[in-house]
Amino acid sequence: MNNQSKKKKSAYTVGARQKAFPWVVPFASVRLTLTLLSLSMILIFVATLEQVRIGIRGAQAEYFESFYGIWYYPEQFWGGSFLSVVPLPIPGGYLLGGLLIINLIAAFVTRFQWSGKKIGIQIIHLGIILLLIGQMTTQAIQVESRMQINKGESSDYIERFHGVELALTDVTDANRSKVVSIPEELLKPGSTLRVPGFPFKVRVKAFGPNCSFDFKESAAQRSKITMDVNRGIGASANLSLSPRDEDYSNDAANFGYLVFQLVNGSEELGTWLAVAHPAGNDRWKFVHTKLEGMAFQPLRHEGRLWGVELRSIREYLPYSIELLKIENEFYQGTDIPHNFESHVNLNLESGQKRKALVYMNTPLRHGGKTFYQYQMNKAADYTVFQVIRNPSWLVPYIACILLSVGLLWQFSFHLINFLRKQSKVSA
Amino acid sequence: MYLNSQNIFKIGASNLLFFSLLCLTSCTEETEIQTYYIPPEYEGPVVAWKLPPNWGENPELSGPMAGSFHVKTNSGPQGRIGVMPFREAVSTLSITNMFGMELGYEKFKEDTLSQVLTTKKVGQKKFEWIHLTERDSPSDPKTALLAVLRQKDETWLFPFVANAALIDQEMNSFISFLDSTTVRAGKKVIRAPRPISAAPTDKPTGAPTWDAPDHWITGKASTVRIASYTVSDEDGNELDFSITSFPGDVGGLQSNVNRWLTQIELPKIESLESTPYLTSYSIDEKDAHLFLAENTEKTIYGALLFGKSRSWFFKIMGDTSLAKVEKENFLNLLTTVCFHDH
Repeated sequence: MNNQSKKKKSAYTVGARQKAFPWVVPFASVRLTLTLLSLSMILIFVATLEQVRIGIRGAQAEYFESFYGIWYYPEQFWGGSFLSVVPLPIPGGYLLGGLLIINLIAAFVTRFQWSGKKIGIQIIHLGIILLLIGQMTTQAIQVESRMQINKGESSDYIERFHGVELALTDVTDANRSKVVSIPEELLKPGSTLRVPGFPFKVRVKAFGPNCSFDFKESAAQRSKITMDVNRGIGASANLSLSPRDEDYSNDAANFGYLVFQLVNGSEELGTWLAVAHPAGNDRWKFVHTKLEGMAFQPLRHEGRLWGVELRSIREYLPYSIELLKIENEFYQGTDIPHNFESHVNLNLESGQKRKALVYMNTPLRHGGKTFYQYQMNKAADYTVFQVIRNPSWLVPYIACILLSVGLLWQFSFHLINFLRKQSKVSA
Repeated sequence: MYLNSQNIFKIGASNLLFFSLLCLTSCTEETEIQTYYIPPEYEGPVVAWKLPPNWGENPELSGPMAGSFHVKTNSGPQGRIGVMPFREAVSTLSITNMFGMELGYEKFKEDTLSQVLTTKKVGQKKFEWIHLTERDSPSDPKTALLAVLRQKDETWLFPFVANAALIDQEMNSFISFLDSTTVRAGKKVIRAPRPISAAPTDKPTGAPTWDAPDHWITGKASTVRIASYTVSDEDGNELDFSITSFPGDVGGLQSNVNRWLTQIELPKIESLESTPYLTSYSIDEKDAHLFLAENTEKTIYGALLFGKSRSWFFKIMGDTSLAKVEKENFLNLLTTVCFHDH
């Protein structure tokens, strides 16, 4: 019995664990930890500088949501005229975060003492591991969208802040509409898409995340990219496009565009132009009456009416939210918002209704999504929610609890030992 | 290998490492074409059809047309078939007169309408069937076959205008076309012409139709003033809208511009060049002039269209503050004007 217990105990000693996993040992290095932490500081420094140039979203995508980023030394800095031409690879958030997780787990496995004395340290590190995993999972799978609702109306879909899709909607039936959506990743110029559920093939001629546009007197005056457009609003309004780089700034308004041809067998039916309005295609009517139809370009085939539009990626929900009332308050004498409130009805899948109040920092949570008060226009009587889907939203809370428990344990353990020693000395 | 604590520990630790690597590499969404069904949210009119094989679609739609087609023949496209949504109030008499007067008929009345009106059932739909043949043209006369479908709060007109022989030849195609159609007004008001009956009976030949905003109050029309509306607001501001028509050019563009400028006490212009009040415009694909002039109290927005034999004036005049509000509605009305001549 005694031997058995010794055997069991030996399996958990640091030496035994290092022997069992020799290949893990190098990953548990403290030097690696310090190197990774130093590189993380460089990453944050570079990304902060770059944020000025390419905006928060650009810096986030380039440096934090990637394995590496390329940085060019700023020209304004000392020696910038020489150094600014050299591309400097910077380890990205995924790389550093991933290595830190491996480093911590490896240390946990092969370096930490598994004893009651050190259990507080272990819990603290477990909390840090969870925090890192939670953050990386959040970055990878969190989806941010918006929901706009007019007062007195309800909405059952959300739209992504970034990214577009080509939506083909069959509205012929009075009771339901069929939607075929093609995400932007598939809209590669030159590609021909066979679309299940849609009678034609879609041949992509041009696609881009942003453009500027204007009206021309005739088709001949249009830019090369829209010269061939002979159907829909692009043709009737003689729209001419100039592609632009995607704007990553905070107040960016990117007008994604798509020039595509519909093909029936070998017959070309025509070329269409679709442009996505960043605030939703129902806003086109406020841009110009000629563009109002951009929200629904009709296409008829075999007794069916389809509507074609390029729009922000949309997700339909099994429930809807109805806007009952909105209120906004400002700090006296300023335009600085003090409080935005939206009184809503949550129309549940079961047919039941639930009243809710959404205001700053007090979101509505339902169906794995969190609805934050985002924008409001009382004059136009509408509200906009920022909708976050983050399945790992609980992980940081659990990690913080673990950290607190670990710290409490560790400090308490030392405090009790200290008090015991003190009482012995005084005795 | 049996499971002792050391093996369990090894498996657990390896799984933990594997899981963390998996998290780093596999947390992306799949991109694929999706098909799904949603409750109807499109609020516009639904108009769909299946074209007979020997028919072609006219890409350009004029005025109120929701669809326009032709028959493909060896000598090129012939005939004109259309789909026109109407307001609910349109009467069969008005529709018949709209086409009948073009074909040389005397104005129909309720008691004479039965000469050209029958009903026809096509599939599940029941149509009013109006057959009009051009008067005084014995050989292959121009014919208008009008199929009127009435649904709840909606009227849909399917005119087939062609020579009599072509209509006879394409009768089966026309009937199968009508059978294939799906028409539904939707929640939005159908963009359609105001029926001809809204204008006086002795209205000039080739009179246009238009779509006025719902809140404009219809006023009294006359021979010259073929449309009349008033608009007012809570502050007592008022606007008067009119469509007038005269033979000839009524003195020409400059004279009419100066007449309007005088009405709001603005100085006359010496020449049409570089005047700030006029811009080139198009009404139902016809060259026209848009006139915008205002002072602090009174405003006139207008459009002047000089046709071959008649002139048309679309004018809204009244208090400046209200005119600014109604400017968009006025411009929208101009886009709905249709002369039904092409």
